[in-house]
Amino acid sequence: MAEAILKIFRGTREGGELAEYRVPVAPGMVVLDALHHVQKHQAPDLALRWNCKAGKCGSCSAEVNGRPRLTCKTRMDALPQDKPITVLPMKAFAVIKDLVTDVSWNYRVNKKIPPFQPRAVTEWKMYQPDIDRVQEFRKCIECFLCQNVCHVLREHGKQEHFGGPRFFVRVAALEMHPLDGLSRTHLLKDQLGLGLCNITKCCTEVCPEGIRITDNAIIPLKERVVDDFYDPWHWLLRKLGKKVSKSVAEH
Amino acid sequence: MDISYHDVLLVGGGGAGLRAAIAAAETNPNLSVAVVSKVYPMRSHTVSAEGGAAGVIKPGDTLDDHAYDTISGGDWLCDQDAVEIFVKEAPEELLRLEHWGCPWSRDPDGRIAVRAFGGMKKMRTWFADDKTGFHLLHTLFQTTLKYNAVTRYDEWFVTRLLVDEGRVQGVVALQLMSGRIQAITAKSVILCTGGCGRVFPFTTNASIKTGDGMALAFQAGTPLKDMEFVQYHPTGLPFTGILITEAARAEGGHLINKNGYRYLQDYNLGTPTPQPVLRNMELGPRDRLSQAFVKEVEKGHTTDTPYGPVVHLDLRHLGEKVINTRLPFVRELCLKYENIDPIKELIPVRPVIHYMMGGVHTDNNGATPLAGLYAAGEVACVSINGANRLGSNSLPELLVFGARAGRAAALAAMEQRTPSEHAISQAQDEKARLEEQFLRKTAGRERVATIRSEMHQAMESGAGIYRNQTSLENAADKLRELRERFRDIGLDDHSLTFNTELLAALELSFMLDVGSAIVESALHRTESRGAHQRTDFAGRDDQNFLAHTLIFRNPDGRIRLEKAPVVITRWPPAERVYGVKPDVKEVAAR
Ligand SMILES: Cc1cc2nc3c(=O)[nH]c(=O)nc-3n(C[C@H](O)[C@H](O)[C@H](O)COP(=O)(O)OP(=O)(O)OC[C@H]3O[C@@H](n4cnc5c(N)ncnc54)[C@H](O)[C@@H]3O)c2cc1C
Ligand code: SF4
Ligand code: SF4
Ligand code: FES
Repeated sequence: MAEAILKIFRGTREGGELAEYRVPVAPGMVVLDALHHVQKHQAPDLALRWNCKAGKCGSCSAEVNGRPRLTCKTRMDALPQDKPITVLPMKAFAVIKDLVTDVSWNYRVNKKIPPFQPRAVTEWKMYQPDIDRVQEFRKCIECFLCQNVCHVLREHGKQEHFGGPRFFVRVAALEMHPLDGLSRTHLLKDQLGLGLCNITKCCTEVCPEGIRITDNAIIPLKERVVDDFYDPWHWLLRKLGKKVSKSVAEH
Repeated sequence: MDISYHDVLLVGGGGAGLRAAIAAAETNPNLSVAVVSKVYPMRSHTVSAEGGAAGVIKPGDTLDDHAYDTISGGDWLCDQDAVEIFVKEAPEELLRLEHWGCPWSRDPDGRIAVRAFGGMKKMRTWFADDKTGFHLLHTLFQTTLKYNAVTRYDEWFVTRLLVDEGRVQGVVALQLMSGRIQAITAKSVILCTGGCGRVFPFTTNASIKTGDGMALAFQAGTPLKDMEFVQYHPTGLPFTGILITEAARAEGGHLINKNGYRYLQDYNLGTPTPQPVLRNMELGPRDRLSQAFVKEVEKGHTTDTPYGPVVHLDLRHLGEKVINTRLPFVRELCLKYENIDPIKELIPVRPVIHYMMGGVHTDNNGATPLAGLYAAGEVACVSINGANRLGSNSLPELLVFGARAGRAAALAAMEQRTPSEHAISQAQDEKARLEEQFLRKTAGRERVATIRSEMHQAMESGAGIYRNQTSLENAADKLRELRERFRDIGLDDHSLTFNTELLAALELSFMLDVGSAIVESALHRTESRGAHQRTDFAGRDDQNFLAHTLIFRNPDGRIRLEKAPVVITRWPPAERVYGVKPDVKEVAAR
C-alpha cells in the first residue's frame, strides 16, 4: 500500500511546529481520513473539527498544501504523491490548538445582520427561478474558507471594519429573497465595509459550494449600495416598500 | 466553580433545539433561554437531511391519509393521538418556516412543490433543493438571532444533568476551547441531542450522534422507550456509509441484484411498473427494503465488494436532465466519493444504520416522567414513529414537538424556584469526577479506540437487521464487559484546550449505556415488528406486544423493563400492505 507523509501543524496560540506523520493511503481516501489515522495510531491528542464527513457541515476547514480546503472533500489521490502534504490551520483566525481555530468572530458579524423580514403579502407565491437565485447563496455551509483567503481579513486584519465574503453572501440571500422587505444597504456600507472589497475573486475560487461570491453576490450588492445612496428614485421606491432588483428588472 | 443561571436550557442546537429555543422565547420574552451545543449549531446533524419534510398541503391529500401512512409504516406501534397532533401541526410548522425565510422548492404556478417518499400514499414531502435539513437548520438559526433572550454556549459539552428534590435543575458542561467545567442551571431542561447511530460501525450519522441525551436521561433514572427499533436505510454507499437519499428512488431509481433483476418484487412489495408508484416496490418502507437485502445476500444474489455485499441502484434510465436537476447532490456525492457517474453507471448500495425510532420517553408535550426534563427531536420517543419511521417524517417531527416542548418548558419554568444548594454541590462532584477519571489519571490501561471498535463489533453482530436470543445475549455480555473495562480507561491527552480525546471518552461511555439499552430492549421483545426482526420469533404478536418497551436504570445500577400501552384512536391494528398488483391502477408518483 502506498504511503503518504503528512506535515501537520501542532501547537497552540503560544506557538508550534510542523510534525511529520506517515500514513498508508487506501483508494478513495480523503485528507480527513489521513488525519483520523494519525489521531488513532500516532497522536491521540491531535485536535481537529469534523462531523459529517460529507462536505455538508462546514467543520473541517484547513489549509492543505497551502490551499484552503475542506479536508473531508479533498481526496489524497488528487494531491501530488511525491511530496509531503502540509496541513495547517486557517491563517486568518487565531489558533486554539493544532487545526482548530477561533471562528467566533464570524458569529459576532452574523449577529449584526437583521434576519428575513417578510413584506406584507397576502399570498406566499414565489417562482422557482427566484428561489434558485437565493438558493445559490443559502447553500453556504459556513466553512469560512472564503473569509480565510480574503486579503482584507487575512493580510490587513480589518475584522473590525469588514464583514467578509461569507456575510456578503448572507446579505445577498436576504436582499434577493423575493419576499424580503428590509433594506440592508446601510449596514453593507457602514458596518460590513463592502467598499473595502476590491473584487479580487479569491473568495470565489476557494468556495467548496461553488457559490459565485463575487459575481453573483458582491457585485450586485455594490450596485445596490450605489443605487440606494446616489439615486433618489431607488431610494424612494425602497421607502415605499418596493424591492427593486436590478437583475429582475433587466430580465 | 462558575455558575450561570437561566430559565430554560436546551441541550442541542440542531433542528429540535433551535425550534424549541424560539418557542420558549416566544412564549415568554422575559425568560432567559440557553442553547448549549457541543458543536456550532450549524454543524448539527440536521444539516445532512436531504430528501424533505412531510406535511399535507395539496388538494386531494388529507391529514388522515398522512396519519394512516405513518401508523401503518410504524407497524401500529405509534401513539395515534400523537400522530394526529403531528400531521395537523406539521404543515403549520413548515409554513411558519417559509415565513422565516426557508426557500421551499416551487411548482410552476409558484406554490409549494412536493415529492414522493417511501411508504407515503400521496405526494406530500416538501423539499428545498436536495438540502432540506440544511435550509431548515439555517433558517432556524438565523431566526434565533432575533431573540435577545437566547444565549448560546457554542462548543460546550454536557456531561451530566443536575437533579435534586426530584427535578432537573440544570447541567454540568465542559467548554471545549478552555477546558472549563461549570454548572449551567435552569428551571427546565430540554434534551435535543439527536440520535445514536454511532453506536454501530456503519452509519449515515455524523460523528456527534452518540446518544448523549439518551444516556444523560437514562443515568438520571428517566426511562428510554422502544430502543430496540433502529432504522436501516436501504441505500448507503458501501465504503463511506454516505446516504443516497430516498428521493433517488422517488424520482424513479431501481434497485437491482447482481442479475439485473428488480428483486423487491419477490418480497411482497408489489410488482415493477414503468413509472414509480407510491407505496410500491422501491417506494416501500425502509424496514422491508433492508430486510429484503439480507434475504438476497442469503440467496447469493448480491455482489461482493471489499466493503461487503452490495446491490445496485440504477438511475441511468432517468437521463442526464432529471439527474442534474432533481438529484444534483446525489450525482456529486457519487462522483466525489465513489468515482461513479450515475448517469452512466450503477451505484453500489447496502443498508446502513440511519435513524433511532426509540429514545427518551415523553408525552405529547415533550415532558419526560422526571420533573423539569423534556426531550424533542430524534433523542425523544413520543412516539410517532413506532416500529419504523417513514422517511421525511422526522424533520416535521422535530419542528412540531420541538415547538411543543419549548412552550411547555417555558410555562413550567415560570413556576419554578432557583436551583438548590445541593444541585450546585453535585456540579462540584462531577467536576472532581471528570478530573479524577480522565484528566489527572495516568495509569489507565484501556484505550478509547479499542473499546469503541469492540462495541461496534458487538452491536453489528448482535443487534443488526435480524437478531435472535443468542446474538443479543452475546452482545449484552460483551457490552457488560466493556462497561467494566471502561473504568480502566486512560487518556494520552491530559490538556485542557480542545481535548478531543476526552470528548471521545465521554461519548463512548454514553454509547455503552445506549447500546446496552438497545440490546436489552431487543431481548425483551420476543416478536417481530417493523425494524425489529427476531429470527427466533417471526411475526407480529399483538396479543403480547402491542405495547411500548420502557427500560429504566435503578439507582443501584440494575436494569428494569416494563411495557406501556400504545394509544389507539381510530386505526385498529391491521396487516401492513404494500405494493400494487399489475392490473390495479394507482396514482403514479410523477
Ligand atoms: C444523512 C441523513 C439524511 C436524512 N434525511 C432526512 C430527510 O430527508 N427527512 C427527514 O425528515 N429526516 C431525515 N433524516 C433524519 C433527521 O435529519 C434527523 O433525525 C434530525 O435532523 C435530528 O435532529 P435533532 O435536532 O434531533 O438532532 P441533531 O441535528 O443531531 O442535533 C443534535 C444537537 O445536540 C447537540 N449535542 C449532542 N450531544 C451533546 C452534548 N453532550 N452536549 C452538548 N450538546 C450536545 C449537538 O451539538 C447538536 O447540536 C436524515 C438523517 C440522516 C443521517
Ligand atoms: S473579492 Fe472581495 S471579498 Fe472576495 S476575496 Fe477579494 S476582496 Fe475579499
Ligand atoms: S461562501 Fe463558500 S467559502 Fe464562504 S463560508 Fe460559505 S461555503 Fe464556505
Ligand atoms: S466534516 Fe462536515 S464538511 Fe467536512
